Amino acid sequence: MREPVISIQNLLIESSIGQKTILNKVNLEVAKGEIVGLIGESGSGKSITARVLLGLLPSGMNVRGQIFFQNENLLTMSAKEHRKLLGKEIGVIFQDYRGSFTPFIKIGKQMAETIRTHHVVSKKEAKNISLQVLEEMGLDSKRVYSSYPFQLSGGQVQRAAIAIALALKPSLLICDEVTTALDVMSGEKVLDYIDHIRKETGCAVLMITHDLMQAYKRTDHIYVMHQGKIVEEGDPEQIRCYHQHPYTKKLCSCLLSLPGENNLVVNERVNSI
Amino acid sequence: MRIVLSMIGSRLIQLVVMVLVLSFVTFLLMKITPGDPIRAILKVDDVITTTAEEEKLREEYGFDQPILIQYSRWLLGIVQFDLGESLIANKPVLDMIMGRLPASIALATGGLVVLFLISVPLGVLGAVYEGRWPDYISRWFALVGASIPRFWLGLLLIYFFSLKLNLLPVMGNGTLAHFILPSITLGVAMAPLYIRLLRERLISTLQSSYIEAAKARGLRKERILIFHALRGSLVPLITMFGLSIGSLLGGITVIEILFSWPGMGELIVQGVMQRDYPVIQGYILIVGFLVVITNLIVDLLYLVINPQIKQGKEVV
Amino acid sequence: MEVTVIKKARLLHNPSMVFGMILTIFLAGIIFVGGAFVPYSPFEINMGNRLQGASSVHWFGTDQLGRDVFARMVYGAQLTIGLGVFAIVMALCIGVPIGLLSGYIGGKIDAFFMRMIDGVLAFPDFILAIAIAGMLGPSLTNLIIAIVLVRWIVYARVVRGLVLAEKEKEYVLVSKVSYSSTFKTIRMHLLPQVMPDIIVMAAIDIGKVILLISAFSYIGLGAQPPIPEWGAMLNDGRAYFQVVPSLMIYPGLAIMLTVLCCNLLGDGLKSYFDIRKGRDYL
Repeated sequence: MREPVISIQNLLIESSIGQKTILNKVNLEVAKGEIVGLIGESGSGKSITARVLLGLLPSGMNVRGQIFFQNENLLTMSAKEHRKLLGKEIGVIFQDYRGSFTPFIKIGKQMAETIRTHHVVSKKEAKNISLQVLEEMGLDSKRVYSSYPFQLSGGQVQRAAIAIALALKPSLLICDEVTTALDVMSGEKVLDYIDHIRKETGCAVLMITHDLMQAYKRTDHIYVMHQGKIVEEGDPEQIRCYHQHPYTKKLCSCLLSLPGENNLVVNERVNSI
Repeated sequence: MRIVLSMIGSRLIQLVVMVLVLSFVTFLLMKITPGDPIRAILKVDDVITTTAEEEKLREEYGFDQPILIQYSRWLLGIVQFDLGESLIANKPVLDMIMGRLPASIALATGGLVVLFLISVPLGVLGAVYEGRWPDYISRWFALVGASIPRFWLGLLLIYFFSLKLNLLPVMGNGTLAHFILPSITLGVAMAPLYIRLLRERLISTLQSSYIEAAKARGLRKERILIFHALRGSLVPLITMFGLSIGSLLGGITVIEILFSWPGMGELIVQGVMQRDYPVIQGYILIVGFLVVITNLIVDLLYLVINPQIKQGKEVV
Repeated sequence: MEVTVIKKARLLHNPSMVFGMILTIFLAGIIFVGGAFVPYSPFEINMGNRLQGASSVHWFGTDQLGRDVFARMVYGAQLTIGLGVFAIVMALCIGVPIGLLSGYIGGKIDAFFMRMIDGVLAFPDFILAIAIAGMLGPSLTNLIIAIVLVRWIVYARVVRGLVLAEKEKEYVLVSKVSYSSTFKTIRMHLLPQVMPDIIVMAAIDIGKVILLISAFSYIGLGAQPPIPEWGAMLNDGRAYFQVVPSLMIYPGLAIMLTVLCCNLLGDGLKSYFDIRKGRDYL
């Protein structure tokens, strides 16, 4: 049977000012080795979902429900325990690659810092691990290690961000709109790497995106979110061809109305491989 | 390297403009004021003089010349590191000021240490506990600190620590103990501006995406605060320091008088009271020089703190 | 109508503003009606009655020359606060029109002028005031002249900057294109836009000027005895603080409260204007 790495049950988030419901009874599961897509337009609540998992909700939010991560409830554990999971068991890649690293500290130093926060290793070992994961990301590891973020291209920084997220072999990787800020080529490359890593390490991936096409191609299972609710779920085929909810219908019809785009993206992908 | 050179160049131009404008204004003011430096000297010497003697002195000091001649003479002197002679002490102004400079710099350094010790913790507390009681303490400290006259603060400190508790000496200098009260007075008086600035900058830095990313990597709170957030927020503080070095030199004057500290401030106040024009002009020149040099050092410090500038890139 | 109600409510919801208003009313009371409670002249010397403690006759005691401290404090309030306000108003009257014109008309003269000013402004108020007071001779009048001479430049520069930013906005262009006179455009469109910032600056600057005046008087370069300016009073009584600490406490406290009042009003007004302009209030 499927073995859920993360299981969100009946998650309800309200902002205490104005009593606005932000997430409404969200149920979501990601199993080991699976890529699950969470799609929806901006403001639908998908980024908030990621932030709950990371314990980065802004203050003034009421949270109810359960989030089980490897059978432990993230919402009831202490902040310290939660922090220890971050970076080690839960890796995250953000949309804004410029914001992934502190601008005035060299990337290598930040990687080693992260590794040494979670494991007792010497500086040299931490450096070796960092160089190795950078190498795996297809980067010129030595150069990237001793570079400031602004000295690298967007795609390079984003791959370095993936490297740092994967350095400690997390069981869950959260990708929050990772390709939005990149050009198509770099975006596809990044997605290929994520796919590759998933196959290699068997980590679960929660891919948050507004790009339906990307979700079709890359995921094993799709959740469609609309106004804080999961309105539909199923495998990509199901969502594409047998969707029921009017919102999903609208999303899909948008896609179909641009017939050229489909081929274009496929071509891009072929070129990049 | 080119950037460094252009920084030095533009600061030098600033220095020249500043000195020319200020010295000309002071010369002009001296000329149009009803008071007379010769009379002032004679008053000091306390002798009854005749008009002829007055004229003779006037000639001796060159005060009978047209103002432009006096001005260009003075400028010519500056180029040769000659700031003229004090009318009262009959000593070269440059020597007098240089003799006082170390004491002033020592006091300024002490004040900066206190400033740092006060403003960083209070600024950080205010930002980290925004809207809660440590923030209110930090904000009220800044507000009251900005409202308190610094000489009165010094007086209160003298009253409590020296007269009532008998812990520290009142005046003079030489030992570390003499150093404490003036430094505290100066540091506390300067702190409010820096507390507010650090607090505001830190609050906005703590909301930035790179801090979020650092949290998502599971780094400890303290580590994020010190290595990631604070460092980025220190840059505006350094700018502020460059901008306020002048007011530091001004503010130090009152404290030097209060504590009988033998620095430049005491010299200039005496100079003003005795209308010793060469001393006043020399002082303005030296202060201008210090202001420009400090700003140049601040410019160069940026290169170290923000590696982006070295690359010739725009700072975000 | 509703909108105005909300704005008014906000002005008084701001704690800085409330504290500031209370202090203002208190200080205004002392300035305008305080004199009625003082039967003594602030200059009347009575050597037989020196360094008295507080009593029902002399509320704050007497100083080293037997003068009534309360009378001197009240007179000092009128003088210190009056001079602070006067200096700033003078500087505004010169600086704001010049800044408006300079920014609105622009051109090379404007640019050259501003570069010179930038050079001079690298110097702090204090040093410039020392330079000017030093040249003119130490007295309260010369100090005020020095302050006005320095301050108007600051306002001219700030106003000019605000005008430059404001000038390119559409409503000003429309006004220009519709053949309004320069004067009318400035008065109708630019002045109201720069006023809030100027008011906030002025409120805080009155406090700064009061600090400057008192500091100068304390070191002997401002008000000369027997003028009961608060800083000069502190200088006067220096030798007697150990015996009669109240000679030190009252004038200093008065300066602090006055400046605090200015800072609170400045802060309060700033956040009020920020909200009204729809700026983010930090």
